[in-house]
Order: sequence, then C-alpha cells, then structure tokens
Amino acid sequence: MKKFSLILALVLAVTGMALAQRTVTGTITDQGDPLIGASVLAKGTSTGTVTDFDGNYSLNVPEGSTTLVVSYTGYATQEVTLGVSNVVDVVLTEGINIDAVVVTALGLERSEKSLGYAVQQVGGEDIARSGSSNAVDGLVGKAAGVQITRSSGSAGGGSRILIRGVTSMVGDNQPLIVIDGVRTNNETLQSQGATSGTASSNRLMDLNPEDIADVNVLKGAAATALYGTAGSRGVVVITTKKGSQDRFEVNFATSLEVANITQMIDLQDIYSQGRNGAHRDPSTGESGSWGPRVSDLEYSKDPDHPNAPGASAFDAEGNYRFSNNGFLVPKGTGDGVPAETFNNVDPFFQTALGYTNSLSIAGGNKTATFRLSGSNLQQSGVVPNEDYDRTTVRLSSSISPVDALNISGSINYTKSKHTRIQQGSNTSGLLLGMLRTPVSFDNTNGLGAEAAVNDVSAYQFPDFRQRNYRGGGGYDNPYWIINNARGFEDVNRTFGNVKADYELSDWATIGLNIGYDLTGDVRKQEFEINSRTNAAGAVQHNEFSTQLFDNILSIYGGGNLSETLSLSYTAGANAVSFNNHETETRGDGLVFPGFIDLSNATQVSGFEDITRYRQLGFFGQVELGFNDLLYLTLSGRQDYDSRLGNPKDFNLANTGFFYPSASLSFAFSELLNTSSVLSLGKVRLSYAQVGAPPPNAYSTQSVFVSPSIGDGWGDNIGFPIAGQSGFDQSSLLGNGELTPELSTTLEAGLDLRFFGNRLGLDATYYRTKTEDAILNASLTPSTGYTNVWLNSGEMTSQGIELTLNAIPVQTQDFTWGTQVNFTKSESIVDKLAPGIERLFLAGFSSAGTYLVVGNQYGAIFGGAYLREEAGTDADKDLNIPGGQVVINDDPASNEYGYQAVDPVQRAIGNPNPDFIIGWNNTISYKGLGLNFLLDWREGGDLWNGTAWALSFFGRSQLTADTREETATPIEGVLSDGTPNNIPVTRDRDYWTSSLGGFGAVGEQFVQDGGWVRLREVGLSYAIPGTSKFFKGGTIGVYGRNLWFQTDYDGIDPETSLNGTGNGQGFDYFNMPSTKSVIVKLSVNF
Amino acid sequence: MKFTYKIVFLFAVLLSFVACEDYIGGDINKDPNNPTSVPVSAQMPALEIAMVDVYGGAFSRFSCMLIQQVEGVARQWQSFNQYTGLTPNRFDAAWTNVYENVLNEVKIAKASASENGYAHYGATLDIIEAFTLMAATDVWDDMPYSDALKGVGSITPAYDTQASIYTAINGLLDNAIAALDGPAGGLVPGGEDVLYGGDIELWKKAARAIKARGLLHNKDYAGAAALAAQSFADASENLAYQYPDINAAGGWYRFNRDRTGDLEFHPTMRALMEGLNDTDRLATMDQIFDPSHTYLVPNFLQELITYREMQFIIAEADVRANTGGTVEGYDAYIKGILASFGRLGFDVETANEYIAQDAIAPGVGNLTLEHVMTQKYIAMFLQPEAYSDWRRTNIPALTPVSGSNIPVRWDYSSDEYLFNSNAPSEGSVSIYTDKVGWNK
Repeated sequence: MKKFSLILALVLAVTGMALAQRTVTGTITDQGDPLIGASVLAKGTSTGTVTDFDGNYSLNVPEGSTTLVVSYTGYATQEVTLGVSNVVDVVLTEGINIDAVVVTALGLERSEKSLGYAVQQVGGEDIARSGSSNAVDGLVGKAAGVQITRSSGSAGGGSRILIRGVTSMVGDNQPLIVIDGVRTNNETLQSQGATSGTASSNRLMDLNPEDIADVNVLKGAAATALYGTAGSRGVVVITTKKGSQDRFEVNFATSLEVANITQMIDLQDIYSQGRNGAHRDPSTGESGSWGPRVSDLEYSKDPDHPNAPGASAFDAEGNYRFSNNGFLVPKGTGDGVPAETFNNVDPFFQTALGYTNSLSIAGGNKTATFRLSGSNLQQSGVVPNEDYDRTTVRLSSSISPVDALNISGSINYTKSKHTRIQQGSNTSGLLLGMLRTPVSFDNTNGLGAEAAVNDVSAYQFPDFRQRNYRGGGGYDNPYWIINNARGFEDVNRTFGNVKADYELSDWATIGLNIGYDLTGDVRKQEFEINSRTNAAGAVQHNEFSTQLFDNILSIYGGGNLSETLSLSYTAGANAVSFNNHETETRGDGLVFPGFIDLSNATQVSGFEDITRYRQLGFFGQVELGFNDLLYLTLSGRQDYDSRLGNPKDFNLANTGFFYPSASLSFAFSELLNTSSVLSLGKVRLSYAQVGAPPPNAYSTQSVFVSPSIGDGWGDNIGFPIAGQSGFDQSSLLGNGELTPELSTTLEAGLDLRFFGNRLGLDATYYRTKTEDAILNASLTPSTGYTNVWLNSGEMTSQGIELTLNAIPVQTQDFTWGTQVNFTKSESIVDKLAPGIERLFLAGFSSAGTYLVVGNQYGAIFGGAYLREEAGTDADKDLNIPGGQVVINDDPASNEYGYQAVDPVQRAIGNPNPDFIIGWNNTISYKGLGLNFLLDWREGGDLWNGTAWALSFFGRSQLTADTREETATPIEGVLSDGTPNNIPVTRDRDYWTSSLGGFGAVGEQFVQDGGWVRLREVGLSYAIPGTSKFFKGGTIGVYGRNLWFQTDYDGIDPETSLNGTGNGQGFDYFNMPSTKSVIVKLSVNF
Repeated sequence: MKFTYKIVFLFAVLLSFVACEDYIGGDINKDPNNPTSVPVSAQMPALEIAMVDVYGGAFSRFSCMLIQQVEGVARQWQSFNQYTGLTPNRFDAAWTNVYENVLNEVKIAKASASENGYAHYGATLDIIEAFTLMAATDVWDDMPYSDALKGVGSITPAYDTQASIYTAINGLLDNAIAALDGPAGGLVPGGEDVLYGGDIELWKKAARAIKARGLLHNKDYAGAAALAAQSFADASENLAYQYPDINAAGGWYRFNRDRTGDLEFHPTMRALMEGLNDTDRLATMDQIFDPSHTYLVPNFLQELITYREMQFIIAEADVRANTGGTVEGYDAYIKGILASFGRLGFDVETANEYIAQDAIAPGVGNLTLEHVMTQKYIAMFLQPEAYSDWRRTNIPALTPVSGSNIPVRWDYSSDEYLFNSNAPSEGSVSIYTDKVGWNK
C-alpha cells in the first residue's frame, strides 16, 4: 500500500508538472508586417519556438517561467512578462545593438556585422558531442576551411589541423591555438623518427573538451593580422566555460567508449612461407610468402624427414622450436595432420575501452565568479598494452572589486600518461612484422591472441632469442613488441592566464593579459635485447621542458563619434617567449635481459637540445562604422622576431617586419525594406599582408654537429666512438641574410541570412600569394652542404569556403537544423630556389612528397612506368606523360614482358583533397535529440606503401590472385609501338622486380584516399529537471566513425604516416584507425 | 586622471622599445646546442671514420656486387644485382658522404690547419682528400672538384675531367709527402688520428701507396711499382681502421645485421675458388654472411689500402714488363697471397699448402697477368679497388647477371641531376658503356 502511494504520488507530481504548463500563442510583427522566423523563448528554459510565415507562434510555457524573450535579427530583443492572457502579440522595433557578437583577434568582441573577414564559431557542446578526447578531432566537419588528419588510431595519437590549407612551404602549417586570449602550445614533439617510433600527441589534447565554451576559427590573414607572425596559418580561438553570476551549478558527466579498428588491408591466406612454390622453414629466415598452397602441406615432427629444416630449428631435445605442431612438409609425407592457416592480424587487436568522468562546479555573485572542473580519462588501445590516462583540473575565476576593474584568471593542470607501441617504418613497427607474417606461421605459438599477450613462450625462446617467422631475423614478433618495445610518456602541464581590465571610460580600457604554459614531458623508450631495431637492447630517455609566455598589454575603447559614425580602436604591445629544452639519455648494449634501465647499459650517451625564440609586437587597429551599414577596419602590427637575428652581427631592424591589413564590410541589407525575407546581407572585402620568421631558430649561422655516420643500409654510428668525440660541419648551411617570408591575402565574402536566421549562406573566396618563403632549400652535396636556408620560394593558394545553415523544420516540439561546410583549397608552388625543381618533404625513394614547381603542394613524386610520349620540357618531372605504357621487350632483361621503367621520376599523386564537405544535422523532438555528421573528403591520393611492401613478400591478396594466373600480355605497347604480345605471369619474379615492392616504380600503388564517412552519429535524451536541486541532464549514445566508404585498398586512409608533419599522403604500416561507440550521461544540479 | 594613465601607458610602451634590443637580440638566436667553430682535432676522428665508413660501405658493397664477389638476393639488393635497381638515387648516400662528410670537412679542417700553421695536420688531410677523391673519380669519372664545396658561392658546381682530378690527387700527395718531411707546426695529429695515431712515417707510406694505385690505373706500371715498393713493409702498416665494438660497429657488420639475407657470397667467386682448390679461404668467405660468423664482426678491420695490394701492383708491373715475370714480381705475387691468407686468419703453413699447387705458383718466368689478377681478385675480397682491377684487366672473365653488360661505372647521385644544372642531364650517362677516363 505504501509503495502504491509513493508511485501514485510520483505520477501525480509528473502530471501536475504537465498540467502546470500553459500554451501561449500570438503574432510577432514589425509595426504591421509579420516577422517570419522570429524567436520566442520561455526565459530561463530551453523551450522555445519561432514564428511561421504569418508571424504566428504557439508555445507551451513550462511552469515557473513567467517571461517570454522575443528576438529577431536586426531588431531589439524584447522581454514580455506573462499575465493572465494566453495570447501575447509583440511588436518589435529595429534595434541598434542587436547584432551577434563574436570573439575576434586578441579576444576583442566585435559585432558580426562589422567584420570584413570570415570567422566561424563552433559551440562547445558540438565538440563535446563528438565524444573525442582530443578537441582537434571534435572540430572535424564543423567549420568550412578546416581540414583535420588523424595520425593513427593509437590511444593518444595526435591530429593535424589546417586552416585554409598550407600557407608556409616548409614551416609549421598548423594554426595558432589561443585559449582565453593567450597563445597555447599545440606542439607535437618527436623523440624518434617522424615516420617510425611511436605515435605522438598534439598538446591541445591536454585540454578537456568539456571545458570548452566555444571555438572561433579565424581563417584569413585579415582576421589574424593582430597576432602577427603566429597568426599567419589561421587562429583557433578557444573560450573556456566560466561561472555565471547569481547561479550555482554542478555538472557531472560520465561516459564509456568502446572502440575497434576500422579497415585493414586484404591479405592472402592461401600460400605459405617459401619461395618459388617451395616451402621454406622459419629458421631459414625466408621473408616471403611465395611457397606452396598451405592446403598442400601437412605437419611432421620427424627430424630425419627429407624436408626437415636445419639443426637451428630444433632445440637441444630435438623438438621443433617454431610450432608444437611440427614443421611443414608436402602433403602425404608427414604425420597426416593438415597444415593450418593463421590469422595473425584481426584477433591481435582488442576492443578498446575508455572511461571518462568529469565534474564541474560553477557559480558566482555580483562581483565574483568561479568555475572549478576536474576530469579523468582512462583509455586502453586497440593494441594490447597501449593506454592513455589523462587527468585535468581547471579553475577559472573572476572578480570585479570596483565596477571599472575586472580581474580574471584561469589555471589548468593536466597530467597524462601514455604507454605507446612502436609503429610505422621500422623493424619494431607493430604492423610491419604482423602483416608480413606468412599465413602458415602462428605468431601466438598456438596460444591464441589473448593468451599470447602475456605469455612469453609465444614470442621468445627460453634462450631469450626471439620467436618470429624469420628465425629471429627480420622484424619483431608483434607480441614481442607490445611487451618489449614499449614507450612510456608522462606529461605534466599547467597553463592559464591572468587578466586585468580597467575601464577608464567608454573610450578607454586598459587591459593586461599574461599567459603561461609550462609542460614537462618525460619519456622512456624500451628495446629489450634481441629487438630487431636495437639488437643489443637499448633504453632511451627524453625529457622535454617547454615554456611559453604570452603577455599582451593593450588599450581599447570605442563609441559613437556622431549620429552616423562610430569608432572603436585597440592598440598595444605583445611579448612572446618560447623555450623548449630537451635532454636525451640513451643506454645501448644491455648486459642482461629483463631489466631495461640505464644502469644495465654498456654505453650511455646523451645530448641536449634547446629551442628558443622571442617575439615583440606592437599593434593597432581602428574600426570605423558608418550608419551600421559600412565598416572599415585598418590594422597594423610591427613584429620583431629573434629568429631573424644574426648573433654575429645583430641589428634590431633586420628582425622587424610590418603587417598591414584593411577590411571592409558592407551590410547592404540595411538599405532594404526591413520586412524583406533577407534578414542580413553583407559583403566583405579584405586585404592583409603577414610575414613569417624562419621556421626554425638559429637558421642564421652554420654550426658544427656531432655526426651520425652511415648510409641508410643499417643503423648509423655516432660519437663518442672509442672515447673520441667528433664534430663535423652541419649539412645545413646557415644564412645571415634571411628576411621574413611574406604572404599577401585578398579575401572576398558574402553573408546572407534569410527569415531571421532560418536560412543562411556564407561564402568566401581567398587568394594568398606567399613570397620570399624561407626554404630549407636542397643543395647538391658537391657544394659541401645538402641544404641551405634561403628566401626563395613562392606559392599561390586559393580557395572557396561555403557554409550553409538552415533550420528547415521548426515547430514547438520538432526542430531540424542542418549545416553544410564546404572547403576547397589549392596551393600551387610557383618557385623554389634557383636551379631547384623540387624539394623533399617526406617519404621513400619510390614515392616521396615534394614541393615541385608548377605542382600542388606536397605532390607525391616517384617512379613511373615508361610511356610512349616523352613528356615535354614544360612538364618534365611534373606529371605522367601521355600514351600507352611501354613494355620492356629486351629478351635479355630479367624484366622482359613487364612494364618498362621511366628513368625520370614523375609526379604520381596529389595528396591534397579536391574538396571536403561536412554535413551536420541536429534533429530534436521534445527531449529527444538525433545528430549526425557526414564527412566527405573527395580525392587526396595516398601512396599505399603497405601494399607496395606486401606485394614483394607475396602477402597481399593481389599477389595471390596474380601468381598463378595464365600468362597474358600486360596492357601496353612494345618499343616499336605495336601492341604487347609477350605473355607474363605476375608471380614472385614480377612482384620482386622494379615493378613490385621495394622496386623503383611507385605509380601503381598510388590510390584515391577519399572517403564518405559517418563521422558522428548520436541519439540523446534530455532528462527534464525535477526540482530546484536536480536541474536535468542528458543521456546519449554516440558513435564515431561507425561507417565509411572509400576506394582505398588498405588501412583506413584517414591515418597518416608522417603524423602532424607537412609531408602527407603516406601509408606505410600505419597504425589502423578506430571506430567507437560512446555512452554518456550528464546531469546538472 | 586620464592623462596620468596615458603617461603611464606611453611610458610602458617606450620602455618596451628600449628593452626590445635586449629581449630579441644578444645570444637568443645563437645555437646553444652546437658550436659555431671547433678545433681541427675535433674534426679529425669524424672525417676519418666517415671516409672509412663510406669506403667500406657503399663503395665496397656496390663494387664487389658488380664484380660478383657478393650477390644481392633479397629486397632492394636483388634489383641492384640485376643492375636495373641501380637508379641515380641509389648513389645519393655515397655522393653525400664523399662530398659533405669527407671532402667538405677536409676543406674546413685544412683551412683551420693552414691558418694555424699546423703543417703535418694539413699534410694528413691532403692524403685523406686524395684517397677519397680517387675512390670517387674511379666510379664517377668526371665530377665537381675545383668549383665544388663553395656552398651558396656556387650552387651548381662545374665538372672537372678525371684527368684533371688525377693531376690534383698527385699534387696533393706530392705536397703531403714534402710537408711531412718538413716542420710539424704547432699541433700534430695524435690519438684523434684514428688511422695512424699521428705516425708521420706511416702517413708517408700511405701517400705513396695511394699514388701507386692511381699510377696503376693510368697505366704507369713502372711508376706504380716503384712507389708500391716504397710503401708498406707489411700488413701492420696498412691504412685501415679497426672499429671498436658493438656500439660503433663496422659498416659490414651493421649491414649484415640490419639487412640480414640481402647479400650472399657470389656463386661466381665460389666456382672460381673451387676451381683453384682454394678450400680454406673459400670456407671462410662462403660463410661470412651468416650472422654468427666471425669475419664480419663488430670490431671489423676495414682496410683502405694494403700491403697485399702493393705486392700485387709490383707483380702486375713485372709481368707486364717481362713476359713470365722476374723474381721480384714473383716474390711480390707470393707475398700478396700470403698476406691474403693472413688477413683471413690462416697461418703460413695453410697458405703454403695452397701455393704448392702448380696452377697457383707456376714458378718464376711462368707467371701471367691471369695468375696475378685472379689472385688479386681473391685477395681483394670486399675491397672496392677490385672493381677497378676488373675494369682494367677483365680478369676474371665475368658474365653479366642480366642484359649484355656489367656496369663499368656508377651513375651520378640524383641530387646532381635535380639540383646541379651543370651536371650531365639525367639519362645521358650510361653505367654500361660510359667508361671512366683511365678505362677508355
């Protein structure tokens, strides 16, 4: 009975709540004309609606709300207190300060209408909803002009962000990240090779996405001119959440993420380890899978069997070492147990789990506010033993002791820990050995994937030699790697700012913003003895201490000069200092296994590396407004940068450079009839010039370095050697004559809003010409150097950005909002250093990315088939010549009947996408919400180095399909121009020739890396608040990357071998990407 | 009130301007990680080991593969073995090591030695330069020299003919020998000279040996033999570097460890040695690519120019001048074989058993060029000079692995084709038919 009463009471309470609602209707007009799409909101709630074509609305006003807020673009917002009547008509009048306010450079708030350049805002909830622990990944598809590339699916792997493509030819192209007005460190610090070693983070990962209130993307040079140099690649302005006055809020959010790998390359599961159709035992060290069909083999344990492997395959007791089943022999000659095939790939990867908990408390009174938040993330990787833990604590507060003075500050502490696994192009790279393992070999030694992770007998013999398919040579066994070649990373970081603003009058406020960002990053990379990378064992410690200070002193203000003329201005000074101190201590040659520590190393060596620069800038900006119709903004900044200073002969003037910018905004809709369906129409035009210092410090002098000696066919050796130190002149020649590189940008844009923001289109076109680009120009070594810093490059970038916003359906209960972001950008290299046709960025000898004159930025350049046409002088080295492929018809050649090789390398691919579209949708019905984001990247070639290498080893499905095909002529022509009639089989000889893996030709492995991807999809329910104490919450299920469609035939093309670096477009045993499902609960008190 | 603030503000800005120079200038942009100048003694070990490593690296591997001492059987080396993989970029590392890591370092060190009057230092650097230049021009023929190593002063260095490079080499060696007979100057090479520990007499002998090698290439056999006789007295005087240990292991060891299985002993050389009943040396050489073998070890002795090479030069000159040879040449021939056995760790008895065969030791007066060059080919196993010998004499007779020609030179580095407009155009150099100057 008691129970029943309780339930009854609850039901009554809920019904009562429903009953307490009231429906209010009415019409919103502009002194007679109905306003279409005006917003009507019950104050203090999220309940709202918009008017229909006749200006009518109907709103269920929840209990407790006594006021309606009515707003419409271009009109003064009105608050109407509800009386007894349920009919409320409102007449709006044109307002003055009704324009949306956006945060622009240096945290200055500007009316949207006045901006003569493109800025796009992304809400914090849109980033949090992505479920990504890296704020950069959360931006994918949400802003036009922004391109994001993940480096790998590793837990804690970094992402590369580009705004409007590339601006600098060899310098960093990632935008400046500004948090609460001060710049912050988004470095990716490498302690190992860029294309090998472990994944690296980008440091923005240290910010908890839940702490972000909103993000403004400043795209063009005019938008960022006040930041000077640092803003030349665009600026991401992040505003964090703050406490609000007279409100106390507690938010708790918890989520669980379940992730799996996405796409893997297709491997053959037919042919065993071996050569020319004959099986070869693992003890032979055989690298290829060119043996017989596994189905034609069986096991034997008889050491006297005629096919028994050599003595090294057996232990002292005469047992076969590599498999408990025995070695492989032709069917019918062994013990009758048919040979098995093993999937060494899919079972290896596990389901990754991530738990995130975050709590925030915020509040304030009339004079002070605070927000304290904490979060903890624990993520395991899809690779066993890989993990990422992150704890963040953030405090933001402000106090206003007197009306004119406001002091605010924030402090953020983040601790993150990673366990990382070797990847990419190195013999300890996880996928390198895994994918090459023949299907006849079991990397788990019969234990199965799960048990093998923790059982040494899977990957190591009792004598500590490694158990792998190449008899201890070749590449590390994946299970060996995850236990014996791990990297550990421990990051302690604190960043924040202190800000004071004193308002002297409407015309003058003095502001000081001091930002700091201190990071300590301690890493240890282990290589157990018998590692294939460091056979003698090694341990490497890297410690990074990074400090970034950003101080801005400014005076700003504004007001109306007359009835029609308004003015605002800012002027100030900015001092920036960056210092990164790395020390590396490395121990080589471990004495005994099982203790990977410096004290166990026979040789300890080390180095230290300090990177530092300073900048001083003096800036000013004036904005003149005429009749809310026409705005002119002029700005200038004079920067001095230490990186241009020559310590031998310092001259301050040589380090300085000036950036002018001008922008014009013409809000032509002001001239139109106010009742027009066009609520805002604006044309933007801007011009800006920015300069950039050398991409690296100390480029103005040549130095001596401790050389590393070798030629790439084995590990190099370094000094000290037998107690002798040694130095040689660096291969990079310094240049004391460097001047800043200059980019000049013209931008034009159109901003149209209809029906009071129900429909909006923002279009931008820009063109940037970069001149005097400072290039690490290649020299032929016969000059004594391989590179020199030169002001020599020229590049032209242009692009189109479109953002279409629409709310096609908006009723009281049902709303559908949609946004399409379209990005197209293209950068053409106009000029490199004199006599230099191309410049290497990253990659391999068969295919590398280069800057090539006349070609797109970072073209993939490599070996090609010979074609009938020679290619003219004009396109020499630039593209693939026309005509059919020429077949090698020299009977004496080992490649008789194969495609002939073009002696000249060609541009064989373009890694830059043709365009990117992000299509974002949010649909809400009452408390239910559905969102999805489609991410479409059209084009963008990837060189499939994984397929390239696997074809050599006979591991790819392609080689299984072709090796037994009937000999047929390859399509092409003979040297006399007649059709090819030389039949060939694409067997081992073919795939190990110039045309296959490790061969000279890269062309056949370039593939379209474009995709259409369901980047985000989510379903959520807004839990209504039930009392003053429980203010409601959200529960949701979100998916990331659950589906994609690509023509790319390999590991998910969204990974990038070169991580966040400039040379993109390579897949070489990349760590696979992940798809995940996130369940999240968030409640407010 | 407002006025006061403005003054304060202006003052702050002015102060910033004054502090500007200190804030941006000074040593902020001076590299704290690396020195801008070093003494010549700090450069010496680096440039010497760089020279050893490139000679025992790319020079040794490519050259000895082409003359079928070793065979590329896996991965890239398989395509190199077929010659088709020998594209210009394959020679990038060798070209860079020669110019950037040896010749440019020598140039800078020589300038420093000359400025300080370190005459003996300068002389050893001349010898190092001559050795490296000769190794390079022997595979690349014409190459930048007089216009090279000028940095941005000449970013497209002009090419010199091989003849003029040989003239320069001989000049360097003559000057070095003369300088070593003169006063030493303030600083003399010591332990940092990892090749000879500053032993001037040995440097002089090495200079003569190098010059002898060059004269031989240019068919001045008598001149070569005369200098060879004045060079090394025995194998202990060889110009060679013993790598210390696993932490700075020999080039051949590193290659074989990190590229296990790419190269194997060549069947051609095996068949040749089997035909000569050369079982002892063959037993060693056949197995060296087995990672557990004790020849290509971390502390590998990388020889640059040796006593046994000198003995074979004397023998060759003798059989060329006197049909069947004289006692002098015959003795040198036997000494060369003995030194080869010694290099592989065999005692004299083992060597004498082999030499006892008539086919090996036909007696004074019966020695032919075929005898000398065949034995030199075996004795010079893994020595790049064996490639020059084969190109000069065509002994032993070799069949191309593919096509109809064994490459007679190397292609230029792709860096030259890309970045030096004074280089021949890419594709215009044939590695099969464009013989180097002394081989024309």
